[in-house]
Amino acid sequence: MSKQVPETIKKQKKRSFNSKEVKQEKNEKRTKLLKEIQEKAYKRAEKYEKEYLEQDQKLKELKQKALKEGSFYREPEPKLAFIIRIRGIVGVPPKPRKILQLLRLRRIYSGVFIRLNKSSLRMLHFIDPYVTWGYPDVETVRALIYKRGHARVNHQRKIIDSNEMIYDKLQKYDIVCMEDLVHEIFTVGKNFKHANSFLWAFKLKPPVGGFSTVKKSFVNKGEHGNREQYINTLVKKMI
Amino acid sequence: MTTQQLRPIVSVFPIKGKVKTIKQVPLPSVFSAPIRPDVVRFVHTNMAKNNRQAHAVSTTAGEQTSATSWGTGRAVARIPRVKGSGTGRSGQAAFGNMCRGGRMYAPKKVWRKWHRKINTNQKRYAVCSAIAATAVTPLVMSRGHRVNKLPELPLVVSDQLQSLTKTRQAVKFLKFIGAYRDVEKVIRTKKTRVGQGKYRNRRHVLRKGPMVVYARNLGIKKAFRNIPGVETASVYTLNLLKLAPGSQMGRFIIWTESAFKLLEDIYGSWEKPSKFKSGFYLPRPVMVNTDVERIIKSDQVQTVLRNRRPRSRKYGKKIQRADPYEDMSVMVKLNPYYKTKLQKQKELDEKNKKERKEIVDKSRKEYEDWLYFSEEEEEEEEEGSDEDREIEVLSDEN
Repeated sequence: MSKQVPETIKKQKKRSFNSKEVKQEKNEKRTKLLKEIQEKAYKRAEKYEKEYLEQDQKLKELKQKALKEGSFYREPEPKLAFIIRIRGIVGVPPKPRKILQLLRLRRIYSGVFIRLNKSSLRMLHFIDPYVTWGYPDVETVRALIYKRGHARVNHQRKIIDSNEMIYDKLQKYDIVCMEDLVHEIFTVGKNFKHANSFLWAFKLKPPVGGFSTVKKSFVNKGEHGNREQYINTLVKKMI
Repeated sequence: MTTQQLRPIVSVFPIKGKVKTIKQVPLPSVFSAPIRPDVVRFVHTNMAKNNRQAHAVSTTAGEQTSATSWGTGRAVARIPRVKGSGTGRSGQAAFGNMCRGGRMYAPKKVWRKWHRKINTNQKRYAVCSAIAATAVTPLVMSRGHRVNKLPELPLVVSDQLQSLTKTRQAVKFLKFIGAYRDVEKVIRTKKTRVGQGKYRNRRHVLRKGPMVVYARNLGIKKAFRNIPGVETASVYTLNLLKLAPGSQMGRFIIWTESAFKLLEDIYGSWEKPSKFKSGFYLPRPVMVNTDVERIIKSDQVQTVLRNRRPRSRKYGKKIQRADPYEDMSVMVKLNPYYKTKLQKQKELDEKNKKERKEIVDKSRKEYEDWLYFSEEEEEEEEEGSDEDREIEVLSDEN
């Protein structure tokens, strides 16, 4: 073993950020962190399950109460929509084309979540003939993020395979696990923007059983435009 | 007093006797000038144009006819044709560059720009580079000089060389110092010139041999004049065309001691300007230390660099993962609460099922009870009175 090692390589090995001890320390830190993340994930998932149940029950109660009094309960307007692009890229006029680009719907059967407000509703109005959209429920949001959720990491599209990935990017917004992400999207929280932009646009499959006619709106027995809660059944067919 | 920069030392050799160092002199700063083949090439190609003689074609060549075109309709090309008859020349095509005996295309003129101006500083830069290259053995060897047997490069020799008068003495010196191999090469490879120069008084072609640079001509010029391939030059007037023949740097030069020392004054250094070229300092290199790898790997640089970011290596590979709705282990990794959730759901379902069953049983029982009691009621009903019933009677009065 009397091999001559070049001096530069000897020096490199001496320097601290390459040494074995530093690497070991890093590994230990990491395993500890992963454990913490999983514990947090458990507790938060529990919390959110209760929260969703409570919300449902509350809604039911308010409706029943109103019915008893003889009046109606007006539900709060939906905050979240899921949009799916159902027309291809050929022959799209400039304005809808730009809006579709802004919403990250660059190819057919791609889907994104969007916060509903006056501005976004106006945008949806322009792209109605090219998309179908509606109000997803918790299970739809979950299924999308778990099964087809890809993260934007280092300008790349990577499937979310662990909570560590979410922690790395969204820890500063107090989102550390999948359930946090689902909750933030579904309830359109304070950091919806960051949670949503963390997710790459969903690439869905063409629907099982097909479409009737994309040229007509949903209201006219077609497929495009707002289909409110029926988006959930459609996503099930496309996921 | 200016402080002397630390410079390497060069040996001075005698011109006869034994090949050993008689003196040592410091290397002039010129030899550390940047070696720029691009500059030398540019300056050389332009400088080489400066000893051209004007040449041109006669202004009247091909025009000394009164030829006119015959026009169309005569089954011949429309080129101007020589007038007249009685000779073979008549009717032949004239004037055009394609015609036999016609004028050439774009006849050459004497007022073509033969010479080139080059910026003085560029010229000086090139000369400094060329001189520096003469001290670099690989460059001199690659130029083709036979320098294996030399004691040292740059080769500096005592000033006695300048006083040589006889060619025999000069040849003896060259053999003594080991430079004659280069001269032998020149003699050996003397050839008749290829091309038409051979009958234009440029019959033979010689290689370039050693160049002897002196400070004072005390006979040296004549002594080396007749040796094939050897050139002499005064150190005050070094010519780039001789220092880098064919813009190829690394001429083999033999310096006399005083000539060698004078280089420091003639070309100056980076601190002191030249004494003979006003305001001229040696050119500065773009990079002083060109060993980039060593610079990057040095302690001074490495300790100041920030550590490599771990992030980009972490998500470098393509990640593969099963569908969490089909693979439970993947689901649990993403959502540790999932198993508990399923369990709770199961318990809830069972509880609901149980309650449902109770309700269904209860209502079934009630229905059966009602069925049983209603049979008894029907029998009583037939005997019932009309007293309780209130009937509105429509009278004729209303």
